[in-house]
Amino acid sequence: MTGFLELHSAAVAQLEAAATLEAIEAVRVEFWGRKGKLALASKEFGKLTPEERARSGKLLNEYKQAFEQLYEFRKARLDAAALDARLESEWLDLTAPAPGVRPGSLHPVTQVQKELEDLFVSLGFAIMDGPEVETEHYNFDALNIPSHHPARDMQDTFWLRDGRLLRTHTSPVQVRALEKFGPPLKMIAPGRVFRNEEVDASHEHTFYQLEGMMVDRDVSVAHLIYFMKTLLSAVFHRDVTIRLRPGYFPFVEPGFELDIQCLICGGSGCPVCKHSGWVELLPCGLVNPEVLRYSGVDPKEWNGFAFGLGLTRLVMMRYAIDDIRLLMSGDLRFLNQF
Amino acid sequence: MKFSYQWLRELVEDLSASPAEAARMITLKTAESEGVEAHGSDSIIEVDNKSLTHRPDLWGHSGMARELAAIFGKKLLDPVKPRQLTGNSPIHVDIEDYTLCPRYSALLLENVTVKPSPAWLAQRLESVGLNAINNVVDVTNFVMAEIAQPMHAFDSTKLHADTIFVRSARDGEEFVSLSEERFTLDPSNLVIADAQGAIALAGVKGGASSGISESTTRIVLESANFNAANVRRTSSRLKLRTDASMRFEKSQDPVNTVRGLYRALELLEQVSPGIRVVGGIADAHRLPPAPAPVALPVKWLERKLGRPISTAEVRAILESLEFRVEELDEETLSVFVPSWRATKDISIREDLVEEVGRMVGYDSITPTAPLAPARVPPASPARLFHHRMREMAAAQGFTEVYNYSFLSDEQAREFGFDPAALVQVANPIAAGQNLLRPSLLPLIAKNLADNARHFDSFRFCEIGREIHPDREIAHFAAAIYSKGDGAAALSELKRLAECLSSGIDFLPVSETRSYEHPHRTAEVLCHRTPIGRLFELHPSMIEGGRGSVLDLDLELLEKLQPLSLRYQPLRRFPVSAFDLSVVAPARALIGKVQTQLAGLAGADLVSISFLRDFGLPGGERSLSYRLTVGASERTLSSDEVAAIRNRIIEGMRAHGYELKV
Repeated sequence: MTGFLELHSAAVAQLEAAATLEAIEAVRVEFWGRKGKLALASKEFGKLTPEERARSGKLLNEYKQAFEQLYEFRKARLDAAALDARLESEWLDLTAPAPGVRPGSLHPVTQVQKELEDLFVSLGFAIMDGPEVETEHYNFDALNIPSHHPARDMQDTFWLRDGRLLRTHTSPVQVRALEKFGPPLKMIAPGRVFRNEEVDASHEHTFYQLEGMMVDRDVSVAHLIYFMKTLLSAVFHRDVTIRLRPGYFPFVEPGFELDIQCLICGGSGCPVCKHSGWVELLPCGLVNPEVLRYSGVDPKEWNGFAFGLGLTRLVMMRYAIDDIRLLMSGDLRFLNQF
Repeated sequence: MKFSYQWLRELVEDLSASPAEAARMITLKTAESEGVEAHGSDSIIEVDNKSLTHRPDLWGHSGMARELAAIFGKKLLDPVKPRQLTGNSPIHVDIEDYTLCPRYSALLLENVTVKPSPAWLAQRLESVGLNAINNVVDVTNFVMAEIAQPMHAFDSTKLHADTIFVRSARDGEEFVSLSEERFTLDPSNLVIADAQGAIALAGVKGGASSGISESTTRIVLESANFNAANVRRTSSRLKLRTDASMRFEKSQDPVNTVRGLYRALELLEQVSPGIRVVGGIADAHRLPPAPAPVALPVKWLERKLGRPISTAEVRAILESLEFRVEELDEETLSVFVPSWRATKDISIREDLVEEVGRMVGYDSITPTAPLAPARVPPASPARLFHHRMREMAAAQGFTEVYNYSFLSDEQAREFGFDPAALVQVANPIAAGQNLLRPSLLPLIAKNLADNARHFDSFRFCEIGREIHPDREIAHFAAAIYSKGDGAAALSELKRLAECLSSGIDFLPVSETRSYEHPHRTAEVLCHRTPIGRLFELHPSMIEGGRGSVLDLDLELLEKLQPLSLRYQPLRRFPVSAFDLSVVAPARALIGKVQTQLAGLAGADLVSISFLRDFGLPGGERSLSYRLTVGASERTLSSDEVAAIRNRIIEGMRAHGYELKV
């Protein structure tokens, strides 16, 4: 029984002095391991009286609890220090560039086109497509532009040696879609079109249009204005003011030029709208009955509206692109910005 | 077309609107005015010619005056005063084909004095962009600018005999114009001729031989009407566009010819005092019958406009534009189209919707949603597929480019195409853009070269159409430019192809094309069908780095996409895996060895994956694979797994491969 206190004091002193997890474990084994100095002490209890045994047992138990408490405290301290040391050693420079490729960009025309497609699909329009190499029939005749009609001057045409041509507008898809699906039909046709024009900062021989058409039983100018206002408010992300004025396109009757109130000055006049307050945006009109007839649709039963949106022009407005040639340049310094 | 505001004011009684207001209303109601410019004390309203394409009447001031009178509710004043010109004309007119010349009117005048025009006439012409020449020519141009009737004056003493022929040109017939240009004609050109030959190109330009000069004293005034398409064909073939041809190709009103003579005569009497008419008007014509009136149901008109309008208002509008209107019944009008709007412009009731609509103003129509049943539109799977492809490519770092559809002969040849077999542009914008691209690759190669000037490495893609004589095929092309050995770029493109579709395989080809690296080219398969190529550009095609290219037929790829997917039940029994290393020759194909291993493993193979490629002394390679096997209805015993493994080893030995066991 004598010496317990000395042993316990020695164990506590060593525990407090130990600086590593291994060292405190060694102290625990030395004193309280299976063959530890204090653990073995209880084996000597046989020689004691029951009273002494009880007292010694109680005392030894108190020493054991005190030691374990201190041991856990020391262990927690050392664990924390070890974790701190590990974390400290794991310092990373998070400003170092991350390896691997970044997403590429979709062409700005693709982005605006997709946005418009989604918008029209939500309004119940189908998305149609037609060939880029067209026949004179679909590009002109079926759109009520016979040969030697002065309206052919409006569109400088790339003719092919085989007698066909590169479509000068997306309007042929009106006829193709009606032939294929018949009325009633609501459709848009975005696509590449060609005009034989010299290229400069504001003219391209290759650009994109989006044709739209609705054919149903009783389609009116009021419906056309409604759709155009809805469409353009969505395109420009705000309520827009539009106006129609007469415009001549042989495939519509009546035909209109649609102007939008200048978004820069709000209609009070600025250089963008040439001080008129209005910006010419798209041609539209009620589908000419001749076009319906050419498409195999009875104009006594059906009529409709059509419009042609300059997709390339819209893209240039949206991103303030001042040189149309950049769009077809394949220059990644430009395209990577989108 | 330039309109003089002063001139218009002379033709509209009490026109009080300012030039700017008149121009604004012309834009809103009639045609696109491009602005107003001061010209001395006058103002010139410039109107876009394209917006007058369908309006022959607006190629003269009186036509625009009619619009302004209707817009502002004023009275229109007609500048033409009909005259009594009786007696036979000494001129005979012989028209070969009345479809090409429905009417030819002419007047012989004597005691003419040719001299400079007075200031008012010269200035008026100059204000609308016409040059003053002499009093006679200036009067013809004045009438043209006023009532849109082109006219011509011949020196009658220079004509041979007194018959004017309107006939097709003889093949090879020579013609020298007033401005001394020489043309060789063919029978598609219509000429005015005397007994000796052509004296004018009908509807386009007069000839030098019969032109007015200072010594002219007798003139023949021509005021005729010619077929629009024929004039247009001649003027575009001869590249000779004149103020006359621009008007005739819009289909002028044949009623106007005699009116032109009356007006010209009145003016000539002012600018050449003492001038005398010889005989009456020679007037040969075979006019098309007046068109039947157009029935206009007012309820129908309301439905087209989408706004209510009274019969009285419709009637008032049409009459202000000089249509004659009768009431068939309470709800239907019978509309007689005036001759100057009937040649081409207005023939059906839809045309009248525009007349009424523009005059009431489209701003008076309330936007209205149509009442139509909801319908699901036809699907467009190809477009959705293309969008999916480009979005996937962008996610893998490829920036989308758009390229032209045109190629040069040289670009085509470089990529193995015979220019003669491609679709050719008849009127290319430049010599190097005369072919339509049968492949995206030539311009992809150009993109590589162009961008290599700015970047050390980059990647991009394009979705575009190959244009072949018989069809257009949507293609997807992707390319990577890199320095170094190029292997990683090809590997990235392989990965991209596998991202785009399931079932992708690569089959190295032995026969490569001249622009492909002979040992870095593979055919791309989708579910075993060839859909394109993966290759590195031949070093002769690119400088400074390497260009790796993937080219896929999108139409085919889309067709090969599984229509539906059915899930596989999850495996209920455990699987076993083991690794095998095959000793293979230096140029063995990892994919081919894998196929052989998989074939030998048989039906219990769950998966096989390639682990590593390890070079051995002597040039051989050790190719390691991990095979996972399992049965669907039970657990394979270790003996069974060992049996499969042994079977594979034996089988590979039979194929001539040693295995490192």
